Amino acid sequence: MTGSDGRAMKKRSLKLHWKTILLFLAVAGPGIITSNVDNDAGGIATYSMAGARFGYSLLWSLVPIMVALIIIQEMSARMGVVTGKGLSDLIRERFGVKITVYLLVAVVLTNFGNVIAEFAGVASSLEIFRVSKFISVPVAAVLVWLLVVKGTYRSVEKIFLYACLFYVTYIIAGLLAKPDWGTIGKSLITPTFEFSSARMGMLIGLVGTTIAPWMQFYLQAAIVEKNIAVRDYKHSRLDVVIGSFVVTIVAGFIVLTCGATLFRAGIRIETGADAALALAPLAGKYCSALFAFGLLNASLFAASILPLSTAFVVCEGMGWEDGVNKKFSEAPQFYGLYSMLIFLGAGIILLPGIPLFPVMYISQVINGIVLPVILIFMLLLINNKKLMGEYKNGRVYNVISWVTVILLVALSLMYLTSLLGL
Amino acid sequence: MQKLEAQFKDFQETNIHMFLFLSEILGRFVLDAENEPIGKLADLKVRLGELFPKVATLVVKKRRGKKLLELDWQEVQSLNAAVIRLKPGSAEKLRPLEVNPQEFLLREELLDKQVVDTFGAKIERVNDIHLLIVSQDLRIVHVDYGIRGILRRLGWLKGIDFFTNWLFAYQFEDKMISWKYIQPLLSDPTKQSLTLNVTSRKIHEIHPSDLADIIEELDQINRATVFRSLDLQTAAQTLEEVDPKLQLKLIESTSVEQVSDILEEMAPDEATDFLADLPEEKKQKLILTMENPSREAVEELLKFKEGTAGSIMTKDFLSVRKDKTIGDAIEEFRKTVYPLESISYIYVTDQDNRLVGVSTLRHLITCEKDATLGKLMNTHLIKVEPEDHVDTVTALFKKYKFMALPVVDKEDILKGIITLQDIMQSQF
Repeated sequence: MTGSDGRAMKKRSLKLHWKTILLFLAVAGPGIITSNVDNDAGGIATYSMAGARFGYSLLWSLVPIMVALIIIQEMSARMGVVTGKGLSDLIRERFGVKITVYLLVAVVLTNFGNVIAEFAGVASSLEIFRVSKFISVPVAAVLVWLLVVKGTYRSVEKIFLYACLFYVTYIIAGLLAKPDWGTIGKSLITPTFEFSSARMGMLIGLVGTTIAPWMQFYLQAAIVEKNIAVRDYKHSRLDVVIGSFVVTIVAGFIVLTCGATLFRAGIRIETGADAALALAPLAGKYCSALFAFGLLNASLFAASILPLSTAFVVCEGMGWEDGVNKKFSEAPQFYGLYSMLIFLGAGIILLPGIPLFPVMYISQVINGIVLPVILIFMLLLINNKKLMGEYKNGRVYNVISWVTVILLVALSLMYLTSLLGL
Repeated sequence: MQKLEAQFKDFQETNIHMFLFLSEILGRFVLDAENEPIGKLADLKVRLGELFPKVATLVVKKRRGKKLLELDWQEVQSLNAAVIRLKPGSAEKLRPLEVNPQEFLLREELLDKQVVDTFGAKIERVNDIHLLIVSQDLRIVHVDYGIRGILRRLGWLKGIDFFTNWLFAYQFEDKMISWKYIQPLLSDPTKQSLTLNVTSRKIHEIHPSDLADIIEELDQINRATVFRSLDLQTAAQTLEEVDPKLQLKLIESTSVEQVSDILEEMAPDEATDFLADLPEEKKQKLILTMENPSREAVEELLKFKEGTAGSIMTKDFLSVRKDKTIGDAIEEFRKTVYPLESISYIYVTDQDNRLVGVSTLRHLITCEKDATLGKLMNTHLIKVEPEDHVDTVTALFKKYKFMALPVVDKEDILKGIITLQDIMQSQF
């Protein structure tokens, strides 16, 4: 081989390499976005509480949660790519209109509860920066609404991807909190678990906040809207894995920030904003501000995705026009539902003396009922040969996914009973 | 609309005429002549072919027994709001269900699925199916895609109607499409091709722009089958209209020969635009399979860089020598007018094919037939060169409000024209 040949070869392989990366970038988005929305106001509150109450001792649980997240989301992504249809579409076609309508009512209710929580997150995080909620919440609602009504799918996705970058604030906040890396490493390698009801409750809460029903719908719909070809599926899978990994890192840093500071000082907290406020005297005002800013970003981000996802899911199942690329007059139900969720959700936060706790509580209960149903439907659908052809679950993968789903169903039922105080 | 009544309808009366919804009869008990229950109605099997297809068989599920059985519709003696009664001796004729490619199951393959409404050029979801019993046959007449269909199936229709009537003196409207405008979308590709062939007339009546929107909304399997079923001209027009990302997917699911046939059907500049966006390998393969003269035209156009006048110009123009008479020119026009993109101008050339003037169609029609074009033509020419940038050309269009501009090389030889439409397309 002559020198110039070698150079040509090298150039070619480099080009090929770039091609793969470009392909991945074209396909990436849905997985990373879906996972990151997981770290919403409710998620941040749960991770902060886990850190503040139990220090580093529950950190290890994030690893199995990540594995479960990857398994579940991979199935959603695969169904989206192979069938080109959304999850509610598939449920409607396979299980009929009755189940679909009742399921959609439940999904709308639980998502509505979550939307309220996101606007509460916007209000409380900006109150730390001394912005009244009567300014922050309406502005946030209009901003979020305009984003989708005036945007196209590609522009919206880009903004969402940039929003993902801001999660880095939690990593910086974690470093500022100067955690004890040795202890963290040790607690990660040697998972310990005492069977106390408080710990068990926290663990179930962590699972519940990380794997939510709406994600399955959103991920699959986003993949369908992106028109990803079956041969690009492996890039989509990578997208899901990276997303789940990043979300776990961020969650881990939230836990360890609170573990390094609030846990040591013995401070109990209830929300993400509590955590941000309590951090100021312990880890410095920058750490506190970063934490609050992260909460704002996460709440805004989830407040734009959740109503969008809900509108997608409902319209798909009912056979109404949907899609960010449609105009208002072309898809009135889609935009109507989307707008209603945002403005009603934001409006409730502004009502004086509104008790947020019962709203959250009901939405969590419905969440716990809906998740098992959806996970089981997903497994039935993905094992349908007519639908998935050669892309249906293999035997080993099927065992793993059934075990994961059964564990998750058991946990969410336990969560449900604990919520209902049975 | 005659409501389903409580008493039995006996089908031996030949002039019976009755509408019913699929959701109203699914799950009804099927009784033999002695009123003994055999099972429940699980589905209806329909044979394609007629404008309003007939129900061929009842699909029955026995109480214990997983297998579905079928029985000819002719065996039905009568039906009412709760049961379907068979003729004497019919129960023995039950046989295991078999579905041929020309047949499909209403509940399994149509209810809750998407269909194309070829009249409204939209995709709708089937909430219910409207059937008609006429001269002893049960036929599909409408597809219900409205909210009433959903409410009926949920069992809420009466309650909601009562409520909306009481509160708003309003009732949700029926939303139905006649079956003659329905193109079902079946998940089995071989079956789907068959239904498309049976009903292809319908889908071809949709405007290519609407067809492109529909194809964009379909899932991948149906997308490919629907696209492959189109005739070459419709396929070419539809392909030009769909989202560029989808174009590649559509042609990948179609054979190279068929795609090159479709490309030959397009105007050369459209085909060139299309090819220019494809990966190099695919592009070369397609050009090689194309036939002349399209191939030559496309190859020539592909030489020009993107964003230049040459890359957007079309070869479809009419040029006539200046010593020809107006009568000759009109005759030329008559022969070639169909494939032309723009019929506004006739270009006049000299013996060496150099562009020397231009005339309008209006001029030709209003002037003396035996005058030569050389006398009539306008010699004040605004022209561009293939290397000129599209923006320059656009500016000329804006300034002079032309319908088309000639493109000439350094020797003034006419290479092509750019039409207003080409400019519009290059801007988006």
